[in-house]
Amino acid sequence: MADREIQFNVKRQDGPEAAPYWEEFTMPYSSGHNVVSALMYLREHPCNANGETVNPVVWDCNCMEEVCGACAMLINGVPRQACAALVDDLEQPIVLEPLSKFPVVRDLVVDRQRMFDALLKIKAWVPVDGSWDIHRHAPLISPNEQSIRYLFSRCMTCGCCMEACPQFQQDSKFIGPAPFAQVRLHNSHPTGSFFNPDRLHAIMGEGGITDCGNAQNCVEVCPKDIPLTDAIAELGRQTTIQWIRDLFVR
Amino acid sequence: MTEASNGPRGGSEVGYFLIRRLHSLTGIIPIGVFLCFHLTINATVVLGPDKFQAGVDRIHAMDELGVLKIVEVVGIFIPLAIHAVLGLQIWLTGRQNVLAYRYGANIRYTLQRWTALITLAFILFHVWQMHWLGGWFPPGGEQFVPGQAPKSAAEAIQASTWYAPIYVIGVLAAVFHFANGIWTFLISWGVTITRRTQGRVGYVCAAVGIVFAAVGLSSLVVLKTTDPATLHVEPHEASHAVAVNLDPAD
Ligand code: HEM
Ligand code: HEM
Ligand code: SF4
Repeated sequence: MADREIQFNVKRQDGPEAAPYWEEFTMPYSSGHNVVSALMYLREHPCNANGETVNPVVWDCNCMEEVCGACAMLINGVPRQACAALVDDLEQPIVLEPLSKFPVVRDLVVDRQRMFDALLKIKAWVPVDGSWDIHRHAPLISPNEQSIRYLFSRCMTCGCCMEACPQFQQDSKFIGPAPFAQVRLHNSHPTGSFFNPDRLHAIMGEGGITDCGNAQNCVEVCPKDIPLTDAIAELGRQTTIQWIRDLFVR
Repeated sequence: MTEASNGPRGGSEVGYFLIRRLHSLTGIIPIGVFLCFHLTINATVVLGPDKFQAGVDRIHAMDELGVLKIVEVVGIFIPLAIHAVLGLQIWLTGRQNVLAYRYGANIRYTLQRWTALITLAFILFHVWQMHWLGGWFPPGGEQFVPGQAPKSAAEAIQASTWYAPIYVIGVLAAVFHFANGIWTFLISWGVTITRRTQGRVGYVCAAVGIVFAAVGLSSLVVLKTTDPATLHVEPHEASHAVAVNLDPAD
């Protein structure tokens, strides 16, 4: 089947301010390609479907095993990791677009800084540097809670959940689903819980937990199967209790 | 997100949290509770005009005590206005994407918004037709005569062939919005946390919706298909509403 081809239709953009345009590419078929390896081929042969030599398509990638989150893009309209999208499983032409909820840097590369800002805002860490006793030994966490926390710890900040969320927009204040999983994760750590009121207050304002509309797309598209909606509902409970606590001890 | 303080003591974000929780709460208490009672009392017309008249008399007994208007305004119209204004504002914080992500909860998220709009339009029409706004707006409103409840309600609904379909749509929209609202309410407040519980409670909410849709539609069938003249009740009952209500044997 030497004449079989892999066809791509790529939404390109030359820079942050440039207008997007579509460009088609074809390459010879060979089995076992994923979208990243196909893009690598196109980088070696930067020739569009009309036979014109063009600037190679730019994309972001890193680990090639769906744990870094860098190669998230829209593949046939679905937000997912390019490295884990097998060409043999995809309908052709394969349509590639940058995530629409983040500013485009170039072609398929987007700037997900907003997600990292959110992690800072919610203090997504365990405070070990303080004037408090951080436990002489590692604090105990029950095996059951450990296995639940493991689920949340797998987030790779890829942004697929943000892409699918109808409440998260470039121009909206909502911090999006992923940070809530990290609040849930760090609040349940014995030392991390020192910051619980801080984290809960950080998600009780505009753009916080109450801006979730329960469309639950996040949990459907998350490539790591993170129970985002469990985290959101759990934080609905924690913020309610925090609010009552604030009434009396503030 | 706002630059509100996210320290252990919290800050201005708590007001936002309170407003969103207020929106959520008003949907159930009092509006949702009102809807349940309203549809149930209306449905007693199925058991005979006297039963319905007795229910209306019991409510309008408050009229003779001079508190019905206060109860209506404080208990129904103000919470409804709060819920509707905040609801429309919340609507604008999101951008529906149900065509790209056709998951069940996302479809319900979308329906929750459109049924809100339909319910709002219906309530304005309905209150004009039956009740207060009738005095101000085009003729044909304010049709409901508390002392002749079944007859005047049937006449109002039969006044145009359009009205019965409008009522069917209004009832179904309001009941869907309420039933799905219970489901999201329980998530917002952190009562149902895991996907499994949310799934099971979803069936309960669907059952509640089906029951109240049937209850609402049953009264419409009677009010639409019965000759209003046969729904006439003896007028003296209404004028003695207080006495009837205060009779210990009642
Ligand atoms: C009159 C116009 C109305 C508008 C504009 C409206 C709007 C909305 C919107 C946009 C939501 C979604 C909120 C969110 O995603 O956070 C909502 C939720 C809700 N609505 Fe309404 N609504 C209206 C009437 C009603 C009525 C008549 C009822 C009761 C029968 C009701 C009960 C509820 C409930 C229980 C919720 C769920 C609250 C939650 O998720 O926490 N609404 N409403
Ligand atoms: C089965 C269909 C319905 C019928 C036959 C019906 C009938 C009536 C009648 C006769 C009144 C006047 C009551 C009075 O003045 O004492 C009324 C008032 C009202 N109805 Fe309905 N209704 C129906 C469905 C609905 C629905 C779905 C809603 C939406 C939530 C609704 C909301 C209201 C409101 C807000 C008032 C004014 C309440 C007040 O002034 O106390 N109704 N309805
Ligand atoms: S929660 Fe899932 S979809 Fe969202 S950023 Fe983390 S890994 Fe990606």
